[in-house]
Amino acid sequence: MDAADRCEQIISLLTLSSCLPVSPSLLQPTPVILLKEGTDTSQGIPQLISNINACQVISEAVRTTLGPRGMDKLMVDSRGKATISNDGATILKLLDVVHPAAKTLVDIARSQDAEVGDGTTSVTLLAAEFLKQLKPYVEEGLHPQTIIRAFRTATNLAVGKIKEIAVSVKKDDKQEQRELLEKCAATALNSKLIAGQKEFFSKMVVDAVMSLEELMSLKMIGIKKVQGGALEESQLVSGVAFKKTFSYAGFEMQPKRYENPKIALLNVELELKAEKDNAEVRVKSVEACGGSIQTSVGAMTDDVLGQCELFEEVQVGGERYNFFKGCPKAKTCTIILRGGAEQFTEETERSLHDAIMIVRRAIKNDSVVAGGGAIEMELSKYLRDYSRTIPGKQQLLIGAYAKALEIIPRQLCDNAGFDATNILNKLRAKHAQGGMWYGVDINNEDIADNFVACVWEPSIVRINALTAASEAACLILSVDETIKNPRSTVDGPPGGAGRGRGRGRPHAH
Amino acid sequence: MALHVPKAPGFAQMLKDGAKHFSGLEEAVFRNIRACKELSQTTRTAYGPNGMNKMVINHLEKLFVTNDAATILRELEVQHPAAKMIVMASHMQEQEVGDGTNFVLVFAGALLELAEELLRMGLSVSEVIEGYEKACKKTLEILSDCVCSSAKNLHDINEAKSLIRTAVMSKQYGNEDFLANLIAEACVSIFPETGNFNVDNVRVCKILGCGVTASSMLHGMVFKKEAEGDISSVKDAKIAVFSCPFDCMVTETKGTVLINNAQELMDFSKGEEDLMEANVKAIKEAGATVVVTGGKVADMALHYANKYKLMVVRLNSKWDLRRLCKTVGAVALPKMTAPTPDEMGHCDDVYLTEVGDTQVVVFKHDKEDGAISTVVIRGSTDNLMDDIERAVDDGVNTFKVLVRDNRLVPGGGATEIELAKQITSYGESCPGLEQYAIKKFAEAFEALPRALAENSGVKGSELISKLYSAHHEGNKNMGFDIESDGPAVKDMLEAGILDPYLVKYWGIKLATNSAITVLRVDQIIMAKAAGGPKAPKQRGHWDKDGWDEEPDNFETHH
Repeated sequence: MDAADRCEQIISLLTLSSCLPVSPSLLQPTPVILLKEGTDTSQGIPQLISNINACQVISEAVRTTLGPRGMDKLMVDSRGKATISNDGATILKLLDVVHPAAKTLVDIARSQDAEVGDGTTSVTLLAAEFLKQLKPYVEEGLHPQTIIRAFRTATNLAVGKIKEIAVSVKKDDKQEQRELLEKCAATALNSKLIAGQKEFFSKMVVDAVMSLEELMSLKMIGIKKVQGGALEESQLVSGVAFKKTFSYAGFEMQPKRYENPKIALLNVELELKAEKDNAEVRVKSVEACGGSIQTSVGAMTDDVLGQCELFEEVQVGGERYNFFKGCPKAKTCTIILRGGAEQFTEETERSLHDAIMIVRRAIKNDSVVAGGGAIEMELSKYLRDYSRTIPGKQQLLIGAYAKALEIIPRQLCDNAGFDATNILNKLRAKHAQGGMWYGVDINNEDIADNFVACVWEPSIVRINALTAASEAACLILSVDETIKNPRSTVDGPPGGAGRGRGRGRPHAH
Repeated sequence: MALHVPKAPGFAQMLKDGAKHFSGLEEAVFRNIRACKELSQTTRTAYGPNGMNKMVINHLEKLFVTNDAATILRELEVQHPAAKMIVMASHMQEQEVGDGTNFVLVFAGALLELAEELLRMGLSVSEVIEGYEKACKKTLEILSDCVCSSAKNLHDINEAKSLIRTAVMSKQYGNEDFLANLIAEACVSIFPETGNFNVDNVRVCKILGCGVTASSMLHGMVFKKEAEGDISSVKDAKIAVFSCPFDCMVTETKGTVLINNAQELMDFSKGEEDLMEANVKAIKEAGATVVVTGGKVADMALHYANKYKLMVVRLNSKWDLRRLCKTVGAVALPKMTAPTPDEMGHCDDVYLTEVGDTQVVVFKHDKEDGAISTVVIRGSTDNLMDDIERAVDDGVNTFKVLVRDNRLVPGGGATEIELAKQITSYGESCPGLEQYAIKKFAEAFEALPRALAENSGVKGSELISKLYSAHHEGNKNMGFDIESDGPAVKDMLEAGILDPYLVKYWGIKLATNSAITVLRVDQIIMAKAAGGPKAPKQRGHWDKDGWDEEPDNFETHH
């Protein structure tokens, strides 16, 4: 498929009308009007195939972003805002897909983002590849439910296998755990724009997450972006940092640095109430220093006042920043990102978000597997061996599942410009000989033991990706008819769409 | 000169311009039948465990992927008046027993299809109706003979599970064992000894991420909310529930306060603060550790709640508040006053936790005596979770039906074939013309095992002949073996595929009634739809009454 073709296909998916193929004979088989005028229906195997095709087009859009050598995408939304990203979920979100089946892929990318934060491209690719491998079977007339059953079995087997071979790291050994976390973060960052600074950032991310309390609420990590400067000038503040927002007259006279100050966190205008002497800054979101937010200046006791080692005001780039550092009860931290263009810092933020999520998952589930396609190759081999032991249609289908898993190393090679067939052959051979952690070596255009090479991922990322991808594939396979009601004319207020919240509408937050 | 007799206006002229008018067998009855047939064909492929899903995009562009007939029909907005009747029958089935909606559609469709044959043969409509009515009456009599087993102890999780399994199977084939287990646990734990089971007490909470098999069930409730204050976990909690906002009270009568100088202003605001502090302190001193409020939480109140180490949870839905009251045994207070010990609820564990990337507040009972249990559904897409929710609904409804009537009939087409067999022989004993109709009624039952077979890629006729031969040998529990590759039959009682008696009973009754109603119509008059903008439909969330709703935006980052 050449590029222009692909573009066209994508565009046809994105436009509202004509997104469902309607064979003319089905339009009005009888003069009886059963449904509302304008209702669009399509059914049968052709419909199923068309859904599969739609999903493939979607995956084409993110395919090239996979892996360290993946390319980024530049997207301009309807308001003219440009976004550069190689995060699958971000890209799919911005694409604004309307095709009902293709939307499923967007959903699983979202799910992956919610559950583990990274691996959104892989999950989309896997789901699309599952469907691609199944297409011939559907065309041959195999009943979709048979396929679904086989896929569920295969997924359960694969997940079981991951759990079996994943290497767990002892939590009590702080040093070892830290190393593990840094490696996981580095693997996640490997495929991002800031791969060059991965050591620097993986350390920062691990530090940030380690400073949080048990619940590891993501909100407690603030990310501030300041334009200008180099990436390496980014810093981690254990405490809070924010742009200076407001100060009173005479502020210049005040010292810019306090040691061991006590902090009153006020939620109200200081002016109206009695004049109390303190650091003269109005703080809105602060839970960092261990003080509670005060709504009243009335009862100012020691236990509601926060403490920190150092308060200072510093020039960062073009902005003046207030820092609260070294808070004794601190359970929060702030990352100040420096960098050139706005899009660049934004993408960096997204990448850091992914890495932070990975580290959080790795802390909760302390088992890891090797990345770089190694785990997929191992699963593929395992399932292929398994499929040979069972008779019937299931054998072919589980074999197809095994083949689909190879898409991850294949795409990694393709994106890096390697000969995928050659490398996959080498990998298959190595895995057959028992080298279960062998994956693609991006740096040397070869294969390598990625476990030794420290390309590690939390096993939960892979488990979730496989589950989500196969659930999505099964969902798409189980549909044989699409009925599209005409969009109700918006006579009411423009917000009318939000009102018809059907049962089962997600309450997203 | 001949007297000028003005031509009598035809029926059509008597009506307003644009009105449509159809009458007679050809124009009205057959058209109606065809519409119903078409509708039942859409849902027929969704029948049974191997039924296919439908993707329905409703007028708000929300996507549904389901094989639940009730949902498909609700979102389809069927317009044809006759087809609407069988839709209504299926809605009634949903309300009456909560499951078997597709059964009604498929059966009613088959009845009408066969009625058309009879009418074309030359029978009059009334003869067909009479035959159908007779047959229906007889069927319901025979149905009780088909009962092959009955639920003995619904407090036993294993037994409940095996009974719910069949209902879940038709929605989530492949996950039925796992889901049936969850549903059974949820149902049994809230099923009191008195035998009064309320479907509403099994709650469902859907959280995106992970897979279906990560779903779980717990005693108590789960809310997709965050705790308002600093305290995020309380063990052995005493819960005070307020239906009012957690704020200082506003007086009923309006008044103006004149403040003369700064001192008075300060005293005034200080007085307000003191009052608030006293209020919160009183709540704390009454022993409460968790405050649940139905309205907004004022900053000031939150400040004191933090100070006195109270966990504050805000719930937006009145219903949620009521259910929570029921779960923890609290009384919702309309004013912010200190609760008495009786008015406070108790819960073993109240905590904030993260599932996927969603923050949830969990009210959990350690023991199984909670009044409400929650099934937490995980899944990779919203559509999938919605479908699982429907499966859970069906499962819970099946449990409810069994509480009402514990009789069971064999599933997998076994009951239908047995009925068909007996009704045919009954028909042959009838002397009048209704004999034909009764025999057709019996034939209509074949549509169900046929749909099961065809959805599984098996030849329907082959299966039906096998089933008949098995039933003639006296094995009245023989049904379609869906696991096999060909048209095999097996004993449904042994396989544990059983349907509640009431589902079949109402299904047959409602389907027949709706089919007869459709047949009775011989004239259709449709007025021209009034022009002008339509009034926007008020279709609020069934679970929301008043209070602001959260906007549905999804943020992937931050």
